[in-house]
Amino acid sequence: MSWSRTRHHLSSPLGVVTVALLLLLVATAVVAPLLLGDRATEIAGGALQAGPSAAHPFGTDALGRDVLTRTLVATRLSLVLALLVVGIGVACGLIIGTVPVVLGRRAGRVVVAVLNLMVAFPGLLLALFLAMIFGVGARGAVLSMAIAFAPSFARLTHTTASGVANADYVSAARLLRVPRWRILIRHVIPNISEPLVINATSQVGAALLSISALSYIGFGVQPPQYDWGRMLADGLPAIYTNPAAALAPSIMIVVAGLAFVLAGELLTQVLGGSQHGHLRLPSLRSQRRDTAPAETPPPGDEVLRIERLTVTVPGETAPFSPVVDVSMRLRRGEIVGLVGESGSGKSLTAMAAAQLTSYPNVAEADVHQIKGNELRRMRPRDRERLLGTSLAMVFQDPMSSLNPALKVGRQLAEVAETHERLSRRDAWRRAVDRLSAVLITDPQARAKQYPMAFSGGMRQRASIAMGLMAQPALIVADEPTTALDVTVQKEVLGLLRRISRESDAAVLLISHDIAVVAENASRVLVMYAGRVVEELPVSGLAEATHPYTRALIASIPDMSTDRSRPLANIPGRPPHASDLPPGCAFAPRCGRADDRCRQARPELADSGGGGAVACWHPLLPVLESEA
Amino acid sequence: MKSSLRARHPWPAFLIRRLGRFVVSLAVVVTASFAMVHALPGDPVRGALGLMAPPETIAATRERLGLNDPLWRQYLDYLWNLLHLDLGTSLDTQTPVREKMAQLVPATLQLGLTAFVVCLAVAIPVGLLLGIATRDGRGRGLHFGFGGVTGLALSVPDYLVSVGLVFVFAVSLNALPVAGLSGPASFVLPVTALVVGPAAYLARIVRAETQRVLGEDYIRAARAKRLPARLIYLRHALPNTLTPTLTVSGMILASMVAGTVLVENVFAWPGVGAELVHSVLAKDYPVVQAVALFFGAGILLINLAVDIAIAVIDPRSTIKES
Amino acid sequence: MLELRDIVVRYGHHRGAVTAVDEVSLTVAAGSVVGLVGESGSGKSTLARAAVSLAPLTSGTILWKGAVLDPRDRPPLQYVFQDPYASLNPRMSVGASIAEGLPRGSGRRERSARVTELLEMVRLDPGDVHKRPRQLSGGQRQRVAIARALAAEPEVLIADEITSALDVSVQGAVLNLLKEIQTRTGVGILFISHNLAVVRYVADSIAVMKSGRLVEHGTTEDVIERSAHPYTKQLLEAVPTMTMGGRS
Repeated sequence: MSWSRTRHHLSSPLGVVTVALLLLLVATAVVAPLLLGDRATEIAGGALQAGPSAAHPFGTDALGRDVLTRTLVATRLSLVLALLVVGIGVACGLIIGTVPVVLGRRAGRVVVAVLNLMVAFPGLLLALFLAMIFGVGARGAVLSMAIAFAPSFARLTHTTASGVANADYVSAARLLRVPRWRILIRHVIPNISEPLVINATSQVGAALLSISALSYIGFGVQPPQYDWGRMLADGLPAIYTNPAAALAPSIMIVVAGLAFVLAGELLTQVLGGSQHGHLRLPSLRSQRRDTAPAETPPPGDEVLRIERLTVTVPGETAPFSPVVDVSMRLRRGEIVGLVGESGSGKSLTAMAAAQLTSYPNVAEADVHQIKGNELRRMRPRDRERLLGTSLAMVFQDPMSSLNPALKVGRQLAEVAETHERLSRRDAWRRAVDRLSAVLITDPQARAKQYPMAFSGGMRQRASIAMGLMAQPALIVADEPTTALDVTVQKEVLGLLRRISRESDAAVLLISHDIAVVAENASRVLVMYAGRVVEELPVSGLAEATHPYTRALIASIPDMSTDRSRPLANIPGRPPHASDLPPGCAFAPRCGRADDRCRQARPELADSGGGGAVACWHPLLPVLESEA
Repeated sequence: MKSSLRARHPWPAFLIRRLGRFVVSLAVVVTASFAMVHALPGDPVRGALGLMAPPETIAATRERLGLNDPLWRQYLDYLWNLLHLDLGTSLDTQTPVREKMAQLVPATLQLGLTAFVVCLAVAIPVGLLLGIATRDGRGRGLHFGFGGVTGLALSVPDYLVSVGLVFVFAVSLNALPVAGLSGPASFVLPVTALVVGPAAYLARIVRAETQRVLGEDYIRAARAKRLPARLIYLRHALPNTLTPTLTVSGMILASMVAGTVLVENVFAWPGVGAELVHSVLAKDYPVVQAVALFFGAGILLINLAVDIAIAVIDPRSTIKES
Repeated sequence: MLELRDIVVRYGHHRGAVTAVDEVSLTVAAGSVVGLVGESGSGKSTLARAAVSLAPLTSGTILWKGAVLDPRDRPPLQYVFQDPYASLNPRMSVGASIAEGLPRGSGRRERSARVTELLEMVRLDPGDVHKRPRQLSGGQRQRVAIARALAAEPEVLIADEITSALDVSVQGAVLNLLKEIQTRTGVGILFISHNLAVVRYVADSIAVMKSGRLVEHGTTEDVIERSAHPYTKQLLEAVPTMTMGGRS
């Protein structure tokens, strides 16, 4: 945590309030007993249990002592008791919590079981019974609360520590034969201290409330000593004559408790918990760009047409656009690959193409047509219907894209129920039929199962079947095989090809793997830093003209790569979309880049052979775009 | 990874394991309540009867309570008596503890369960609606407002809420009864005091869970299917928030049990909690033991019920290792 | 050389037991690169973890130069993990992480010189020595992890899916680096990957695992050109290649 970030958090409203409250509390605890100690016990000759007056802003108690003075003086004892509780509790908790790690499996399991049992009981309740053993009084109350609090802290310690103890970096250190104590000091403790410190801080607040509760019911501080809880107990019976005598300590308990809870939250932020401070959200300002190019009637077989798609996302200083001016057209039965590395904007493009851009991201395009219908001009209901019946989506991770709480058949059937108003039974029948269409054996029984019972490949096929419930004209497949094994990957891709062929649907196949695209698509769009840098037929990949496309292909070993030569690789790493260079985004990594590349960004232009490229110095001398 | 047999028939194994844990835990609670008396510093009888009690009375009481027997004998007697629902005799009032409990338990159950139902009825819809309204970082004002209100509600403990309620409704407005159990109106203040904190906590959990679930891939998939919002939230999101909600509800019920102790005290509620405070101060240990058993067994039962309910809703949890 | 003999790793008890590795024997000769291929759940990572006792050995022996490995000795094996985001302590600087692998007993100056040398070997800027892992990219982190393993001067390096968490344009550089280090230091490598094309590029011989068993083992050429086992053939067919044929 850098100092500037710490300062940023401390100067936030939360930080200022928290620090001010804590300082005030500590100052009162230190100073009040010194200055006001005598006055607090002075039995003034005035009225007993008197209401507020100029001399006694919160009135007097049963012996005529000033309530305000006593409340301030009680700060020290109240805070000290709370700190003692947490101190003792944390010490015990740390020891018990690390015991399972030291003792080994079997003994550790017993300790964990006992902890789990104890944590089931609310701490205050445990403390009440322990008070019976330790006796009433401040000492008994502190010990009872500390022991009652220790188990939950011990369990937190244990879970955090065993998480870290299983981390790869600890395994690595063990393999390097780093001594145990060193592993503990350098690897385990630094990585568990944050959550423990945060927890202990907010627990001071909780301990303060609990100790006050114990004092209030008579288990804690005994007269003539007094803390806030004791004062509450003394003031409450007189609430009809002088409510202020009960309210003053109540307010202090709440304020002090709140101060420590806030301190816990502040620590969480400072120590690096939350990264999202103030993000600048993109606005919908230019959502309706009416500078759309002249409407040309689409060819009859055009399924998807997007012109100048831009996706804007929130940023720390300003919103930025990870996708800029992407255009594409897909015809019926065509498989088009969209290739790029992580961060290239390909997935955001896919989501936007399927009209699934989610808040707070904003997608804008000059043209966005599906089967010739301009989506922006449609009524929402018609648009949802059109998309629900003609667009299918396949997501990357089939383990998480099926709802674990619903039967697979149900998840398919609901599509037809919603968009085609099919009866439950007809929809179910169609679901079973579509499951068999994607070659799931025994679809009758499988439809009744939960996704849990499906293997990865089967889930992905079920997702595809879901898209087939209607008559999809377009399938957007976002890394459909990245999470699958190679043999299963082949199966799923084969299925997508078959569907595209048989139902004449267009497929937008998004992948980081150019080989997957080369095998399955007929056309490829290559994205880099949010823009399409090259578009070309798959047959032309070997003669790709953009240096990035070339390097990407060369850097992936395949079954014919020359093993005796080093692999081509691209130095550096892709730029972040919020921090793009002024010229060509690839220039810093490109061997052919010159000043022109660094200053001006090349537009996508025809490269001959049915392709387009955005480069000042394309690799094929066929097209001298520059000269 | 589990064997196929266990995956196909998880219920018997789950129930045996879970009931076994309940029985062991109960045995621990019973033993702890027995051990509590023997952990007391000094002579419990002298402590209860006071320093002025004549030695003959103390000796007679010790004999009557069997405190002169060997420890194992006392333990067996204790278990035997428990089996016959014999909870002993109060040292303070000399009445059978069972009779005392029979009067106190219903009052506490009424208070606790009413509060629990009110808590669920308020917190779950509020949490769900706010989760939907603030999904993906929408509604920043609402987000901070909710955080502030629930944060405040969480940091004021139930006994101080009680004090505040007494002040406002009884002292200032003179509107509602503040002491004892006398008809529906007498429930309003104690139930409110018990509910404020736990409801704020539960609402936070439900909202966080709703937001988490709404960010899951299967919700994206449901949106891709262009399902109406009603189906996305109620059919796809809600069932997936139930398991954590139930777990937290169980914790809340347990914490409300503890809360009754203090709240009953403020409102002079004739329940187990108020009696606990009184009997601890009076060192009336047979009563303390009975109350410990009541609270302990109650909390274990709540946990058992929650685990079984989760298993019914989410069959996957039955094959998870405990 | 490293010899894994009849290794069995079984998890759970009785009816619930799952055999992750089933009587696998594998040898990594000094200076050779052995590729271990398999799909998820094939047991390839478990086998490797068992070799360095990160997974419990149910039965079998691990021999080093013909003798059973003494766990107290400085191990001749080092491990590079799959996820460079999890395998570096986020609270330790690059230099401190690498220095942990150095033999104890050397002086401060000597150690820092060696760290600089290792950083140069994995093609990192020696100026990065004070950086924390989060200031580095995935590829750079993986280089640090490799440098840390090399610091211990291992005779065999186990590389477990070391490029699968990296971007394709970075993968090539890490593979090149590994090959280069192998040639320079002569370290033996057990290279584990699900990607047959990557294994083919790096390894001299290839072992194929399926469902905890070793189904085929031979020189890279033999396995690729003349695979004997049907599963190997299936794997080979599934590898996407830049056929450029296209499908329209």
